Amino acid sequence: MSGEGRDVTAEAARGYLRIERLSKSYAGRRAVDALSLDVPRGEILALLGPSGSGKTTTLRLLAGFEPPDAGRVLVEGEDVTALAPAARRFGMVFQHYALFPHLDVGENVAFGLAVKGAAAARRVADVLAMVDLAGFERRRVSELSGGQQQRVALARSLAPEPRVLLLDEPLSNLDPALRERTRRELRDAIRRVGITTVFVTHEQEEAFDLGDRVAVIDAGRLEQVGTPDELYDRPASAFVATFVGRANDLPGRLLGGPEGSRAIVRPEAMRFAGVENGGLEGVVTARRFVGGHAYFTVRGAGGEDFEVFAPHRAVGVGERVRVAVERVLYWVEGGAG
Amino acid sequence: MSPGRWAGRGNAAALLLVAALVWLAVYPLLFVGSEALRADIADFAAQRSEWSALWASLWISAASVALAAAVGVPLAFVFERYDFPGRRLLGSLVALPAVMPPLVGVIAFLFLYGESGFVARTVRAVLGGEASPWRLQGPAAILLVHGYSMYVYFYLFTRAGLAKLDASMLEAAASLGAGGWASVRRVTLPLLKPALVGAALLTFMTALASFSAPYVFGGGFRVMTTQIVATKLNGDLPMAMLETSALTVVALAGFALIRRTEGSRLVVSVGKGTPPALRVIADPVARRLAALAGWLLAVVLLLPHATLILVSLVPAGTWTTEAIPPRLSLTNYGALFSEAERLRPLLNSLWMAVVATLAALALAVAAGHLVVRRRVALRPAIEALLMLPWAVPGTVLAIALATLFSARSPWTLRWVLVGTLAILPVAYLIRSLPLTGRALLAGYRQLDPALEEAAQTLGAGRWKRMRRVTLPLLKPALAAGGALAFVTALGDFVTSILLYTYETRPISIEILSSLRLGDVGVAAACGGGRVLVSAVALGVGARAGR
Amino acid sequence: MAACAVGWLLRATATLQLCALLLAACSDGRTPLVIYSPHGRDLLTQFERRFEAAHPDVDVRWLDMGSQEVLERLRSERANPQADLWFGGPHTLFMRAARDSLLEATDPSGALFVSVYRTPAVIAYNAAAVPAAEAPRDWDDVLAPRWRGRVLIRDPMASGTMRSIFGMIVGRSIRTTGDTAAGFAWLRRLDGQTKEYVFNPALLTEKLVRQEGTVTLWELADLLTTMHKGRPLGFLFPASGTPVIDDAIAVVRGAGHADLARRFAAWVVSPELQLLAAREQFRLPARTDLPPESLPAWVREVEATLRPEPMDWELLEARGAEWMIYWDRQVRGTGRR
Repeated sequence: MSGEGRDVTAEAARGYLRIERLSKSYAGRRAVDALSLDVPRGEILALLGPSGSGKTTTLRLLAGFEPPDAGRVLVEGEDVTALAPAARRFGMVFQHYALFPHLDVGENVAFGLAVKGAAAARRVADVLAMVDLAGFERRRVSELSGGQQQRVALARSLAPEPRVLLLDEPLSNLDPALRERTRRELRDAIRRVGITTVFVTHEQEEAFDLGDRVAVIDAGRLEQVGTPDELYDRPASAFVATFVGRANDLPGRLLGGPEGSRAIVRPEAMRFAGVENGGLEGVVTARRFVGGHAYFTVRGAGGEDFEVFAPHRAVGVGERVRVAVERVLYWVEGGAG
Repeated sequence: MSPGRWAGRGNAAALLLVAALVWLAVYPLLFVGSEALRADIADFAAQRSEWSALWASLWISAASVALAAAVGVPLAFVFERYDFPGRRLLGSLVALPAVMPPLVGVIAFLFLYGESGFVARTVRAVLGGEASPWRLQGPAAILLVHGYSMYVYFYLFTRAGLAKLDASMLEAAASLGAGGWASVRRVTLPLLKPALVGAALLTFMTALASFSAPYVFGGGFRVMTTQIVATKLNGDLPMAMLETSALTVVALAGFALIRRTEGSRLVVSVGKGTPPALRVIADPVARRLAALAGWLLAVVLLLPHATLILVSLVPAGTWTTEAIPPRLSLTNYGALFSEAERLRPLLNSLWMAVVATLAALALAVAAGHLVVRRRVALRPAIEALLMLPWAVPGTVLAIALATLFSARSPWTLRWVLVGTLAILPVAYLIRSLPLTGRALLAGYRQLDPALEEAAQTLGAGRWKRMRRVTLPLLKPALAAGGALAFVTALGDFVTSILLYTYETRPISIEILSSLRLGDVGVAAACGGGRVLVSAVALGVGARAGR
Repeated sequence: MAACAVGWLLRATATLQLCALLLAACSDGRTPLVIYSPHGRDLLTQFERRFEAAHPDVDVRWLDMGSQEVLERLRSERANPQADLWFGGPHTLFMRAARDSLLEATDPSGALFVSVYRTPAVIAYNAAAVPAAEAPRDWDDVLAPRWRGRVLIRDPMASGTMRSIFGMIVGRSIRTTGDTAAGFAWLRRLDGQTKEYVFNPALLTEKLVRQEGTVTLWELADLLTTMHKGRPLGFLFPASGTPVIDDAIAVVRGAGHADLARRFAAWVVSPELQLLAAREQFRLPARTDLPPESLPAWVREVEATLRPEPMDWELLEARGAEWMIYWDRQVRGTGRR
């Protein structure tokens, strides 16, 4: 084993869960491309990316459902890459929960327990209480609401005390109205247990709300990993800059950049200015309310559209305006698309 | 585990399974083929009688498909779409011809519709006249028996297909202005196509392999199965092998042709959808008429069973020219249960059918796992091999097994199985493979792979997953496939007759033996017992499958 | 649940097999003697009891099947013979089996098979429909217009008796004209008289009793047994002579218990058993050295009225198959045209 001769405690300090240059291809297409991540003990890490970006494949590689073409997965310094899923002691909550329909709630939760009898019953009761489902042991799975099923799935994955918890789009199957509440409950439950968690989502709000850190993935590559604030304020790539939050993609020359470059600017980093102050010229073509503010769509002189975030009465549709740019979020060097 | 080893293990298992299936289903056939080469092929090709028997086999089978569809499909529509009193009970009774035992079932037909049967005698008694109004002979009689016993395939397949049909599609068709008939023709039937093709395949193959009906009713009209027996009786073994091969080639061609029309699996319904609601017949008069018609139909369809029971109650030799038997008693059943010698075949049949069914289920589960879960490279081969025994008539299989397993030569994978306990369960196993295979592949395809993955992350090893998750979830498929396989094995006649031994003589041979000795009553009592056991097995299967 | 079901099934199977074995285990420790025989349950059961009474260490096991079927089986079981004895069937079949090396020395002289009974072919009729005086007296009478469509014939391809009768007709033709043509012409006329070829002897008698036809060609033992059961049938020996088929017994080559089988064969042709078969099973003894006064009345009557046809069995055995193929292809179904 390659862990030999290394300082195990040093590895653990770097990351309780370590992903080293993980790669996987399907029919010649790279689904995951040399992905490396360190997740400290107790952290909740969100894998965020558009659909098809390889985040679910990454999760399946972590769980061990598929063997990677290259790279390693380590937990507490132990290389688990070659271990079967059953031997990894990773808990997982599936997108559609994958509750066993032929077993009741109690049997589902007890499935992964090594202990039997009274000890198992106690553990099941404890875990169910933790997800606010005390006394649900004998219920049939099909009788539960979506939110309850999700919590049973969480309880089932936590019952055997796994080392790492994996969640695959845990909230995508719920009503939008229910989602926010369930998200809170989910976060509280994970925090209570204090388990190292990796979850996959394509929703930024979910990732930012649940994750201590967020790893943005595109086309199988890790674009950036950091806290939500870091990602928002200091994107490391054009992809992150445009994918995270709202952003305008403007020709760089309008803002004094070299010919061919592009400037990514947040709508809230722009404001309507007086005509004499220079800046971008344009006509307001639409307005979309968000509380007391609004996004104004402006068509620039060069035909480019961009959005400005401002108090909702700032300008009217059809008005000619000038727009000042306070900060460019990210410069894309010339020549790029 | 390195990726290579990972995939390698699935492929190795697949290779093993393919090898086993080839050994069981293909190797014996190749053996028959090589034996057939010793016959005078030119003589075979020059005989008009051989060609006409082959042609008769073909058109009888095709006509059987048409007839069975004509009865089974409308029946399925009526029972799946309209509600009337007694619908549930009738709906299951109508499937009973599926468990009519071979040979004695045909005899029941003879007693019922034959020229000296009830119906003929009743007609004669009513209309007067000396001669019988008709004779139950020739192609028409064969088709009557085939239509009766095989419409069940269309009925069951169509009902299953209709139950899965999404109501919203019919509503969509209606909203696009399609009338009743147009929506049936342009929406329902295309969606039912896989079910109908499956039923057609099963009917065609069963009709092609049918032996009892042409044997009893054929008279001078020869089909290939009876031709083979005649040739064998005449001692011309190579020619019999050649005829056997010819029949197999025709069967394989038919099989391939019908499978082609099945086409891609695109027609699998996309939405989850709910089946259309039953239409309750509101008008009380129409309701009563519908119920009456339903009951009448059930009576007609159950008449052969009733005849079987009646015949089993007639003491030997007491029924000569009367329309109904003058005396009834339980002596035949007494004979059945008082002699251990006569009860033994029933027990033999039961244990052999159970063993064969379990083995066929195990192979089918392995195949389902490799084809659907592991998606091994060999999966087309596995699927084709599982279905192949459908295309092989029972007589052919029996001859092939008897030839192949009558010599010991481990290097060519031949052992002496003829005359041992193993040969009949092996034969039943092969014949059951398409039934369990189809059921389990479908079952696996409906199984969410995430469930097994969930069990994996919960630390469940291979066996615990199989035992606690996969098998319980496959229960409907196991029950359906298992029940069919069990009933098939229990009812087998054509394979058994060539392969049984003293220790393994099955119920069908006891029936034949009783018939040979003129104990029609005892034969009928045996047949009745078999119908009962089969009906119970199918009922249990249907219940567990829900 | 399914595990339960599988376990239950396994247990059920074990139980079933145990039952089957228990039923078979009545033979514990005894030497099994397996007999393939077309003689039927009545005769075989009686013989089984008698032989077992005389030899308590032997378990007689018979399998009832047609004589053609016995030959088929001996062929396919050649590598692993299951039977010890073949008891019953026309000696022409035994000749073929001997030629195929399927038999072993059966009596001390080394003969491969031994004649046990004689089976004369007869003309049979329904006595309730046909007065004895009007029944056909000879083969040619069956061709009379009166019986057109009233004749039932057992499928000759599968019947040794019918093959012998057809063989006799063709043999006579060769004897008188030097050619088979006249014989086949006669058979074509018979085909014209025939209402139906019946596949099974039991069905043949059933149809005769139910008057679907009134006349048939059949053999003596079967007919006497049926009449003994109370069926309204009658028979007579054709005046011009009838084939008398020797019904034989033989030890199967490679039999597990050949010596025991030879003892059984010797026992069957002993005067005691010959008389028993004559008295209770309507079998005409092959032995001619039995004291006439010990024979039942029917045997004496048969001996008085029976006129055996001199048959060339060697010729029939050599060319019978060819004649039957010709009949099957060229004669069957052409008589009415």
